[in-house]
Amino acid sequence: MSNEVTAVRVALVGKGGSGKSAIAGILARALAQQGARVLAVDSDPMPGLSLSLGLGLVDAPIPDDAVEEKAEGEPGPRFRLRTGLSALDAVDRYAVDAPDGVRFLQFGKLRGHSASLMRSQLAFRQILDDLPPQSWSVVGDLPGGTRQPFYGWARYADTVLVVTEPTAKGLLSGRRLARLALGDARPGRLAAIVNKVTDPGDAEWVRARTGLDVLAAVPLDEAVGDAERHGAAVMDEAPDSQAVAVVTSLAHRLTEDRVGAGIGS
Amino acid sequence: MKLAVVGKGGSGKTTTAAVVARTLARHGTSVVALDCDSNPNLGISLGVGDDETERLIAMRQALDEGEQEHAPGWDDLLDRFGTDAPDGVRLAVVTAIQNPEPGCP
Repeated sequence: MSNEVTAVRVALVGKGGSGKSAIAGILARALAQQGARVLAVDSDPMPGLSLSLGLGLVDAPIPDDAVEEKAEGEPGPRFRLRTGLSALDAVDRYAVDAPDGVRFLQFGKLRGHSASLMRSQLAFRQILDDLPPQSWSVVGDLPGGTRQPFYGWARYADTVLVVTEPTAKGLLSGRRLARLALGDARPGRLAAIVNKVTDPGDAEWVRARTGLDVLAAVPLDEAVGDAERHGAAVMDEAPDSQAVAVVTSLAHRLTEDRVGAGIGS
Repeated sequence: MKLAVVGKGGSGKTTTAAVVARTLARHGTSVVALDCDSNPNLGISLGVGDDETERLIAMRQALDEGEQEHAPGWDDLLDRFGTDAPDGVRLAVVTAIQNPEPGCP
């Protein structure tokens, strides 16, 4: 019952190296620990989210044979999940179990040839479009930078979070991403997470320069750096770290906001 | 010589490129620094500041949108679309930040 009204769909965008994957990994597991059914999706062509979830380097792609070309005269994009395979079936079969009950699914990495990438990309989008929004929370890790994250990649998200470092380059990128996000799928909510905060004024600085509400200010935390160095999840290596505490609190608030807004009920 | 710097996001490409460009320039080489990143921040690392970095990008964008006349050769391109960075480095932005538009994913 509680899951019925508390599903949240979040996509994280940000400059390369801003900490999208690390935050997405904590956020997905925190939501799952709070009782949500969570699908963590990685659409970044560079590996990242599986490490931050604590899975090591794994592949959880949608295989070629799960996808077929649409029939003549059928509406929609050129490729779709093969007949009889629903979005839920695809998550059952192709997503991988991550800690805390999170399911992990990945858009094909930059290995396959382009035809295969296009097939899996369209199937990936279809899964996110068709997944019942009331029962599944989605945390998406999008490609870094300003070019790739949009073009419809974030359209499943009701909340797009721009992960921003409090640096000149970070702010410039945050401002650009804020502008581009509004020109794309127009998410219900667009906000910033300030990451690697070292100064009490950082959150206000980011708010003033990007025009975005700041939903969380994650401190620069050695525990995150250490976990990244080891290719492990901060949630496992340092569950009591400040970064985990701040992102866990964000997970609570995102859920409460959904309940408060009556979305999904 | 022509150098290109590549790497994962956040690994320090832009910072490295800026230090290399300015160091070469200080040793007397004529240096052109080209920002080919779709999220162009090289101006900041070279030290020309936010506003000048954004101005170069806006000029580059105007070219795509047909509001700005193209230059006939590489030297005119650098004259018209570049800016002087410290140590005599000439900076130009090559890529434009494209607005998202529907199309083949």
